[in-house]
Amino acid sequence: MKSGKLINNRFLKSGSGSFTTSVMAFLLAIIVGGILIEIAGFSSLATYGAIFRGSLGSTKGIVLSLSQATPLLLTGLSFAIAFRVRIINTGAEGQVYIGAMAAALVGAYVNFLPGITHVAVSVLVGMIAGGMVGLFIGFLKIKFGASEVIVGIMLNEILILITAWLSTGPLMTPGSATAQTNPILETARLGRLVPRSQLTWALVLAVIIAFYLEWMIRKTTLGYEIQVIGSNLKAAKTAGINVPKIYLLTIFISGAIAGLGGAALSLGIHYRFIEGISTGFGFAGIPVAALAMYSPAGVVVSSFLFGALRAGAMTLNRTTSIPIEFVSVVQALVVVFVAAPMLIASIKKNLMKPFNGIRNKRESIKGGDA
Amino acid sequence: MGDWANILYVVVVSTIRMSVPMILASVGAAFSVRAGIMALGCEGMMIAGAFFAVMGSFFTGSPWMGILFGITFGIIFSLLHGVLNIRYKVNQTLSGMSVNLLAAAVAPLILQIIWKSKGISPKVESFKKLDIGFLEEIPILGSILAEQNILFYVTLILVVVGYYYMFKTPQGLRMRMVGENPVAANTVGINVVGYKYLGVMLSGAFNGLAGAYLSLAQLDMYIDGMTAGRGYIAMVISTFGKNSPIGAMLGSLFFGFFDALQTIFQGGVIPSQIVRTLPYVLTMLVVVFGLKSARNPAGMGKHHDE
Repeated sequence: MKSGKLINNRFLKSGSGSFTTSVMAFLLAIIVGGILIEIAGFSSLATYGAIFRGSLGSTKGIVLSLSQATPLLLTGLSFAIAFRVRIINTGAEGQVYIGAMAAALVGAYVNFLPGITHVAVSVLVGMIAGGMVGLFIGFLKIKFGASEVIVGIMLNEILILITAWLSTGPLMTPGSATAQTNPILETARLGRLVPRSQLTWALVLAVIIAFYLEWMIRKTTLGYEIQVIGSNLKAAKTAGINVPKIYLLTIFISGAIAGLGGAALSLGIHYRFIEGISTGFGFAGIPVAALAMYSPAGVVVSSFLFGALRAGAMTLNRTTSIPIEFVSVVQALVVVFVAAPMLIASIKKNLMKPFNGIRNKRESIKGGDA
Repeated sequence: MGDWANILYVVVVSTIRMSVPMILASVGAAFSVRAGIMALGCEGMMIAGAFFAVMGSFFTGSPWMGILFGITFGIIFSLLHGVLNIRYKVNQTLSGMSVNLLAAAVAPLILQIIWKSKGISPKVESFKKLDIGFLEEIPILGSILAEQNILFYVTLILVVVGYYYMFKTPQGLRMRMVGENPVAANTVGINVVGYKYLGVMLSGAFNGLAGAYLSLAQLDMYIDGMTAGRGYIAMVISTFGKNSPIGAMLGSLFFGFFDALQTIFQGGVIPSQIVRTLPYVLTMLVVVFGLKSARNPAGMGKHHDE
């Protein structure tokens, strides 16, 4: 294959960065987060210690971390795969909502599907619903040149409002005091991996999808075309790649995965659709994907890191420690640091400066001796 | 007849009420775009403005100090966007999104720390309707003006001053040149980096003020998610209005009208959630069909030393 020529390495690097950049960005975000904790009047070491114990210190903590990581893994994958063709899918939150609603409706009202097919069909419908929203965004981008960033955000607001209307109006559980749809049937529930936890088969599904996508990008023709478009759009067009087709396919996959995230919420946790079912998981996928440098396999790792951070923060004592909202700040900081490889590079240089000074001094002392 | 006059009056008053923050935000966006920086961070700057304005008013008891706080923090967040863009050459979409993510995370955190409450601040001193004295006697117009607070007039002045600065002063010309062609601007000795920072900071100040209007003039508190995507809409309005303060104002009035329809359809046959989708649907329609003739500066996202 003549892949080397078409994939512009310099751009790939500036867009994706390196493993060190990722690690540095995460550490920097943790450090700045620590400073914030201190400013807020809490002890950063004690807080991080408690977060660590609460997330990775026990089996229960690890299970909690994994269940917190599941939606992040899905929305992270959703953002990452679209970004590989440089489409910024800001519409994930809306895709999560529509996926959750569609899956919950099939789960509640379709009652003739036997055994496991019910849950399978429910999940699939959730994914298709999310995928169709993605496809719509892609269509507007290709046909009218509409910015996917803006369209995505607008669709989020629209879909959140429409699903809210459905769950308070026509589809509301009769006699219910809160905005929710009818419960799904037992057969539509996503099975739990660990009893009495929120850890479901959705995690297994998500991990399989992650590794499949990684393989797809690296080893298949479609993946190759995705890489070429992502690194050099002009070259892709010259090489005769059907760019609109790949755009549509990628954004459909992206939307479908976010839709699966929604289905995992309604079929695995709430067993129905409730208003406000996603608390910003769509946007939380951005830092997850960025930290993984938009590699699907990397998203598995980064979503676990953020999942553990959330799980640990959830176990913090409400009165004596920093509120859980602090995790979102760390997430946002990760995006800032990952986005700026030049920033990381200059911090690296400045960090090394004092050491350079010492080395120079040593050398000058040596020189003096001689 | 009386009914129709009443409805018209309600439409005009709520259109103005909904438009003022959009005018401020989209004029801010215009300055950013004119200096060559994508205005994707407006949402975050607005959130910062709305939240810190409430904080300022809470601690000083003065809404004017609140405004000062809001503008200051709007500028601080705009500087993040600016530094990432100008100094570290980050992809503009990513840096804009990171400003939005950070502001949306910081506000609830501080809210929780200071007031130990989730998502909603206590009520603070806010801007009241301005007493306009005898002017209220003017038919129709008087009663519409009587509904406004001082920030309405401030906004009108800012639009005129902003327009004058952007199109009638040498500085404004230089800023537009930086946005259009940073390399050429640099060649003729214009301080490209300086003008880019100026543009992005102006967008921070305007959006901070827009956020402060939401929390201290429309309401008297901060609520999580109260900006509701207005920063993104402002960016669209700015492009729609050809990145001119006057165009931004007209565009905002148009959007404000659709935002105002909510108040009219309240309690009607159409469910409130569906009515509330109107401004977003309209924004999408504009993005899809309305930006054909509009264009952003050619040098957007470009650097002078590349």
